[in-house]
Amino acid sequence: MTQQEPVQHHTEPHAPLTTASAAIDGKEGGISKKGLSAGSVGLIGAIVIGISCIAPAYTLTAALGPTVSEVGVQVPAIILVGFIPMLLVAFGYRELNRRMPDSGTSFTWATRAFGPWVGWLAGWGLVAATILVLSNLAGIAVDFLFLLISQIAGNPEIADIAANPFVNVVTCLLFMLGATWISYRDMQTTQKLQYWLVGFQVLVLVVFSVAALIEVANGNAFDATPIELSWFNPFAVESFSAFAAGLSLSIFIFWGWDVTLTMNEETRGSEKTPGRAATITVVTIVILYLLIAVSLISFAGVGTGEYGLGNPDIQDNVFFHLAGPILGPLAVLVSLAVLTSSASSLQSTFVSPARTLLAMGHYGALPEKFAKVSPRFFTPGYATIVSAIVASVFYAVMRFVSENVLWDTITALGMMICFYYGITAFACVWFFRSVWFRSVRNVFFTLLFPLIGGVILAVLFFTTLIDSMDPAYGSGSNVFGLGLVFVLGMVVLLSGVVIMLWQWRKRPAFFRGETLSRAVAED
Amino acid sequence: MVTRIVVGYTANESGADALALGGRLAAASEALLEVVMVLPIEARGAVVPPDTGYERHLKERSRGWLAEASARLGDGVEQALHIRYAESFAEGLVAAAHEFDASLIVVGAARGGLLGRSRIGSVANDLLHASDVPVALAPAGSREVPVSLGVTRITGAVGTRSGAGSVLDISVRLARLTHAPLRLVSLVSIDLPAGMDEELASLASTAHADDVLEAARRALPAGTTATAVVATGDTIEQAVKALEWHAGEVVLVGSSRLAASSRLFLGSTASKMLRELPVPMIVVPRSTS
Repeated sequence: MTQQEPVQHHTEPHAPLTTASAAIDGKEGGISKKGLSAGSVGLIGAIVIGISCIAPAYTLTAALGPTVSEVGVQVPAIILVGFIPMLLVAFGYRELNRRMPDSGTSFTWATRAFGPWVGWLAGWGLVAATILVLSNLAGIAVDFLFLLISQIAGNPEIADIAANPFVNVVTCLLFMLGATWISYRDMQTTQKLQYWLVGFQVLVLVVFSVAALIEVANGNAFDATPIELSWFNPFAVESFSAFAAGLSLSIFIFWGWDVTLTMNEETRGSEKTPGRAATITVVTIVILYLLIAVSLISFAGVGTGEYGLGNPDIQDNVFFHLAGPILGPLAVLVSLAVLTSSASSLQSTFVSPARTLLAMGHYGALPEKFAKVSPRFFTPGYATIVSAIVASVFYAVMRFVSENVLWDTITALGMMICFYYGITAFACVWFFRSVWFRSVRNVFFTLLFPLIGGVILAVLFFTTLIDSMDPAYGSGSNVFGLGLVFVLGMVVLLSGVVIMLWQWRKRPAFFRGETLSRAVAED
Repeated sequence: MVTRIVVGYTANESGADALALGGRLAAASEALLEVVMVLPIEARGAVVPPDTGYERHLKERSRGWLAEASARLGDGVEQALHIRYAESFAEGLVAAAHEFDASLIVVGAARGGLLGRSRIGSVANDLLHASDVPVALAPAGSREVPVSLGVTRITGAVGTRSGAGSVLDISVRLARLTHAPLRLVSLVSIDLPAGMDEELASLASTAHADDVLEAARRALPAGTTATAVVATGDTIEQAVKALEWHAGEVVLVGSSRLAASSRLFLGSTASKMLRELPVPMIVVPRSTS
């Protein structure tokens, strides 16, 4: 995995071994075309993967409502500001990935920088966040599946079936089963098809926004709200708490973007390709987000009326409710776009907890079973199935605990992302402490950027944690007088601590630093 | 001819079957065994972002698997281990066969076949559609046949249709290389609608099969001896069952008439045979010009 290979699973081969791979090791085998494995994603390919990981259609339908309820009309401002911590941390991510490429990402890096305990919790944070989003994704997909069927059948009542918890949970479990099957077998859509799907998604979102603006101009809007420059002013947000909550949601909407920076140092073409892919991806996404946020707010307002973005009944899935009033018969396109966006995002999201669990199993931080690789499909089979089961159980339980499950998971998710991204950012700073001042570049990329990013995320994490104790926080669901978001966050983190202590008893070698030791960047 | 044999290895039972058969063929014919693992090209799709760390891990794990496989094979077989990247397993194996100029690719055919009989798995199926090199399908349980048994007999399934020529050639060469006796078989199924004179039909088919075998024997190069058998039954499956088979035997069949020239494709007779055969089958392209 990393340069250091402490766990010896196997003996040396008897016979000579050849590998045709230029991309992975660089030095062996020479430059041979057939060996290029990783290094063959072009500029367009990288952008498409980036956009399909962010899944703008899914992300916005899930996050726009909760963000409006925190910051009102200042959503565009939050989107613009929210990108900053994401960018700063992504720089740290890239540095770590370049120095220690490892499928365990945050887990491995935090362990190397801060030792096994912090590393274990960082890994837990990543796994928990991705499992939360898996359940949310599947939930959104279920809503849109029923909406799509009702649009095609011309019977609006079918869309309401999605609200029945039993039907909802069963459909969701079927979705998870399908996604698990696809991920386990690593059945990916071809690049060509994916280009079409991503293009379709972006196009539909643009059409959706433009249609909303036209309706506003024609005076048909539900609650026409004139667009103002103050929407773009972050200082116009009422309180710091609201600002922090909005920001942690906007961390979520950019989540996944970092893959364009880290996915490939050897992208086809030139050295500039990854940077350009990341830039083009983020510019596209920001423009798209701003366009949709502005047009929907101006169409529906932030009030609590039937279609108002402040209406708690529509907030956890705004496109679901607004597509019909804005697009009429064409609303079916939005359903298709969200469904395809969730489907590909479900698959790329599955990979991340599975690979982290695999690394944790590999280094002895979890049972060795987690390190199993399917000999036929070369996927982390056991870890994939465990992630799917946990996400399904989580969704089923939450669906019955809270009516606004989607909403609250999104907010809790923002918190978990702040947690593990924050640790990763600090891990970058600490790991590179010996080389901070070797160059001006290092000062920025290994010290200042990740440090500032990490501090912002830490502030967001603690602010959200404290504020969410209020039972009125988020959707207003509460357990024993504490906000559901707080309870969710604490249950997730504390169960992580409990499992960590249990693993410490069972597998002390990892916690003594024998399998993955602390290290500092050299040279 | 058989100087290099490519084994398409996967670290599961089907891979173990392929490895055992490849090892046995290589030992018997003094060929070099090229054990190849084909890993997927990460960037082939556009959904999952490629991850260098995970690729490294996969490669490391595959090295481990190859080392274990090599240890199991023992020192009796001259071997080399390889990791290759390709869009698909079949594509990677065909490319490897070309790279090593191999004359045979061995893969495990099994996928949940009942009672040790093979039903063809998707990997073997893909390969049969893509390969221009003969493909050996190792049935489930091949891993339990010891390498030391060698090849005890080569059976060439000779039909009347085109393709028989190359089956014959390769059977002869393989028999010579492995020092195994050669048997030529012609399968006859008498599967007629009710009401027809069964005896007459049977007689006609058998006579035809005898002619085929006689022609095949005449086509054998000087100095080659072969036994010849006509197997009859109501169906191809029954005809196969009616024959006796050695544990160390290998059967050669030609690919379908429908296959593109010098590409493999299992015809209906061959697929039926595969279902019943207790021994490995080698599918030979129609024309290896």
